[in-house]
Amino acid sequence: MRNLNAYLFATSPRDAVRLLHTTAGRGCYLAGATDLMLERRADLDFVVDLRRAGLDDVVVQDDGALRIGACVTLNRLESDPLVREFAGGAVADAAAACGNRPVRSTATLGGNICSALPSADMVPVLLALDAVAHAFDGESTHDIPLDEFFTGPRRTVLDGRLLTGLTLPAPQPGLVCLSRKLRRTAEDISLVQAAVAVARGGNGLGYVGIALGAVAPTPMRALAAEDILLRADPEEFEIAVAAAAESAADASDPIDDHRASAEYRRAMVEVLTRRLLREALGIDPTAEDPVHGGLR
Amino acid sequence: MKLTLSLNGHSTELVAAPGARLLDVLRDAGCTSVKRGCETGDCGACCVLLDGEPVNSCVVPAAFAADAIVTTLEGLNDDPLMRRLQDCFLEAGAVQCGYCTPGLLLVAWQRLREGGELTEYDVRHAMSGNLCRCTGYAKPVRAVLDAWEAMP
Repeated sequence: MRNLNAYLFATSPRDAVRLLHTTAGRGCYLAGATDLMLERRADLDFVVDLRRAGLDDVVVQDDGALRIGACVTLNRLESDPLVREFAGGAVADAAAACGNRPVRSTATLGGNICSALPSADMVPVLLALDAVAHAFDGESTHDIPLDEFFTGPRRTVLDGRLLTGLTLPAPQPGLVCLSRKLRRTAEDISLVQAAVAVARGGNGLGYVGIALGAVAPTPMRALAAEDILLRADPEEFEIAVAAAAESAADASDPIDDHRASAEYRRAMVEVLTRRLLREALGIDPTAEDPVHGGLR
Repeated sequence: MKLTLSLNGHSTELVAAPGARLLDVLRDAGCTSVKRGCETGDCGACCVLLDGEPVNSCVVPAAFAADAIVTTLEGLNDDPLMRRLQDCFLEAGAVQCGYCTPGLLLVAWQRLREGGELTEYDVRHAMSGNLCRCTGYAKPVRAVLDAWEAMP
């Protein structure tokens, strides 16, 4: 940021894409700037400011899906009535737990996603709710399941396209979505993040989303764990929850670093996933765990 | 780049490099209540109000101030609510070294202006981005609640 030659304001999504691709030198999109200002990238010649490009709508569509513009700030997500009412407030609660009040004033949903950190705070809850990202190439918009959006740490499938926003499909009736993160202090980078979304349907569960963050090169869905629950008979929910939590831990691929060991992170994936699923399914928290015994 | 903004109620023109931080531009403009602290958006010492919202000016590009309303503590010198808040800080003993105080005051002032119920949790949530190494937070939180209770 320090060596920028130009700071450009985009007036529309089309203008943003045009500016990025026709301006000389190396450029990037900028929304809330909270990550960009810290990265101190010396390789950037210009930035394209998206805050005036009309990407700050929050809309509930006729089919009940929630559409959120990429430049909507985390503070707005925390307080917007439409977001608060969606999926029991799961997205609003996740936003409220990001960073701190001043950072949430400027940090955006699109920025949190496009920075593509393995520990991106908003992503697990969005994955659990089956979010779809909208990528605009200047002419047409492509819908990309958020699950296929990340290709590695700080890497996405965008390749110069503009993330204009996300759509979260209408929650199934009775859906419960919960997320939690494990970290040393309120502002610390998460050691482990987990989010679950479940809805009863048919003879068992009609929807299951289980997502993890900070325990693999990208945020991820634990698809095998979801499958265990989708096949589970209501009589066996407790056993299925224990098996799904174990499956989620197996699917995770955490690293060792100065914050925590991989072994600890993997163990905590199991604990968090199990606790969230039990809570979401209304399983008595004081009941003994059927597999491991004791209060889990 | 040239920035036209309202700074503490005065229409102002500032010149800034394209990659400049709001923090540095404001300090150069004489607003030294804006403190340089962690410079990573964690400590809140550089808090200012941008269009009425608290932001950490160390992680905000100066360009965000273009056509915006920027308020630093200097701009609230004569504001009755800020006066009361400052009095409550003094009475509660909520100021020790004072480095975090401008940021704490701005965030608290903004939260009080937002209105609505105010519990201790609300104050702590609002102040969660302002680190204070001296007071242990109990007294600043008390001071904000005192100011709220004294509001008409």
